[in-house]
Amino acid sequence: MEKIRLIIADDHELFRNGLEELLKRHNDIEVVNCVSDGVELIEFINGHQDIDIVLLDITMPNMDGFEALRQLKHVSSQIKPIVISMHDEGNYIAKCAKMGAYGYLLKNTDQEELLKAVRTVRKGKKYFNQNISEKMINFMSEHPVSNAMLSKKEHEVLELISKGLTTKEIAVKLYVSSRTIESHRANILKKLNVKNTAELIKKAVTLKFI
Amino acid sequence: MIQSEWQEFVNNSNTKLPEDSLHINLPKKITQPGIYDFTSFLEHKELAIALVSIKDSASVIKMVDYEKVMDVLLERTGMGNTGESYLVGEDFRMRTQSRFLEDVSPTDIMVRTEGVRNALNSKSGKGIYKDYRNIDVYGVYSLIELSNLKLTILSEIDKDEVEAPLKSLKRRLLILLLLIMLIAIFLSLFLTKIIADPIIKMKKSLKVMAQGNYDGTDTYSKNSDEIKEMYEALNLLKKSLQGAVDFSKKIGEMNLNTNYSPKSKNDALGNSLIKMRDKLIEFRNSETTQSMRTKRQLLDGLENERRRLSRELHDGIGPLLTSLRIYIENKVEDKALQQEMKKLADETISEVRLMSNALMPSTIDDFGVGVALSNFFDQMRKSTETSIAFEDLLKPEQSRITKDQEINLFRICQELTNNSLKHAMAKNIRVTLSEFDDFISLFYFDDGIGFDLNNVNLGSGIINIKERVELCNGTIEINSKPGNTTFIIELPIENGKN
Repeated sequence: MEKIRLIIADDHELFRNGLEELLKRHNDIEVVNCVSDGVELIEFINGHQDIDIVLLDITMPNMDGFEALRQLKHVSSQIKPIVISMHDEGNYIAKCAKMGAYGYLLKNTDQEELLKAVRTVRKGKKYFNQNISEKMINFMSEHPVSNAMLSKKEHEVLELISKGLTTKEIAVKLYVSSRTIESHRANILKKLNVKNTAELIKKAVTLKFI
Repeated sequence: MIQSEWQEFVNNSNTKLPEDSLHINLPKKITQPGIYDFTSFLEHKELAIALVSIKDSASVIKMVDYEKVMDVLLERTGMGNTGESYLVGEDFRMRTQSRFLEDVSPTDIMVRTEGVRNALNSKSGKGIYKDYRNIDVYGVYSLIELSNLKLTILSEIDKDEVEAPLKSLKRRLLILLLLIMLIAIFLSLFLTKIIADPIIKMKKSLKVMAQGNYDGTDTYSKNSDEIKEMYEALNLLKKSLQGAVDFSKKIGEMNLNTNYSPKSKNDALGNSLIKMRDKLIEFRNSETTQSMRTKRQLLDGLENERRRLSRELHDGIGPLLTSLRIYIENKVEDKALQQEMKKLADETISEVRLMSNALMPSTIDDFGVGVALSNFFDQMRKSTETSIAFEDLLKPEQSRITKDQEINLFRICQELTNNSLKHAMAKNIRVTLSEFDDFISLFYFDDGIGFDLNNVNLGSGIINIKERVELCNGTIEINSKPGNTTFIIELPIENGKN
């Protein structure tokens, strides 16, 4: 079985060295190179396309992990990046996943899990452990990406308008200021290309919004 | 009269009159015809004027009737009570009866007065002199000289009587003069009062104004057009000064939006007040700008320092700790010890993460305030029973919120949540962050015990929040009562920024 060819990209030398030493103990893994930022990584990969995995830190000088992820996609489709970061928030995880990371590890991950991740990704599978997955899903559920004509809030406002509530009543109900409701209302009118509430209700019914 | 007697006498020379028919003791023979004064020859000493003519060397004598002469002399029309006319002979003896000394024979009265002396010296005239009674009289005297007759005639009247009407006239004139003077004085006093009163009042008014008090609202009776006009001018001056005073008072209270229109191009006071106001506005604006800049710099410094510390912890200490952890995994052979040390390292790493996020989460820079607040509230939920709902309605793409606004909104939410959990004992917290084309709205609600806005003993929390809103040129509206406390913060979206 071929060795897993791996690059470590991290700006902390101590961490790089520690990680390298740890991985070297395992015969199926070959640490090809250690780089300290994204720029160095991209430069190295341009000359070495036969890399399997990059262990990529997010916070780095010159070029950070996000940018590196973005550029990697253009440079090579073979290289599978695994993000290894201090950040444990869902937003970082989700962003990395979205940008093409095959796995996400916290820097204080046990070496067993690290090896598991490397080996899983090597097979072309993604590796996000349960904890990481949960954080990512939580974040994504809180920040849905919607291409609908009206936002979720605007739908709520529209529904309350159709029930005949005043701006102030809607504001109290939705925990926002009256001006916010007015702005939402104005935006809804603009988006549905209508001039007044009567037209709005008519159009909303036609569009089956209410 | 004597002349006519004489003429008659001469013409009727035929009439015989015996010489001795008269009781006259002629001292000598009269040889020349003429008129004579025979008084001194008569025994009764009455005036005797004799007309003597010589006819055939005999003298014919005719006596002029004494009564006739007296009739003439006693004609006293216009002579008053003391006027008299009388004749005096060459011997200074009176010839006719005195009006005053009726009991005395006229010849016994010596009349050696100025009038007689002058008349005897052929000087007719008039004058004031003392008469035979030694009383001042006005007299007219003349000499009668007819042939041999030489008499002085005097008409005199007492000076007192003559002057009596003059004196009374004088007195009356004096009284009249006094009266006129009195009237004149009163009149002038009255006129002075009429004219001077309003002027004095005006003077007082001006004096009061000179002391800087322009509030006087006296109204005056206006007597003449000129004074009326003066008052109107004074009132106008007062009004304009009053206006200027009000204006400067407002400026003094730093109420600099007050407007004032100068009374004219030459309204030096008004114009300089306006200049002063403009300068003050400029000064205040620059001061405000300066103070805002200072505050912003301070806050920026604080936030930058927090960011630096946070990054240092997260990206400096964190990786070192993870390095340590790997080192432990690499070097520590004893599994139990390794596990224990790794656990310690993990705990330290977690602590460092918390500290870093509390100082300033890197998410705010990498993902924006919406995500940062999401994470923050997620973190809070872990340590409280309170229900927290946060809605991030910032525009997911091309949000025009600025970094400063993000940091300030994050800090405000941190502060408010802290208050709600620590002081208000809220059961529910609802936070909505919305972005529109022209403004960002943060709505914060909790159902805690609330607080008295006028008695904020919440430390500097609310003050800090207000300051941060002010630094973002935003507005804040706070309503608080038990069970319902809301903060509505609106920050403007400025064009051309971010």
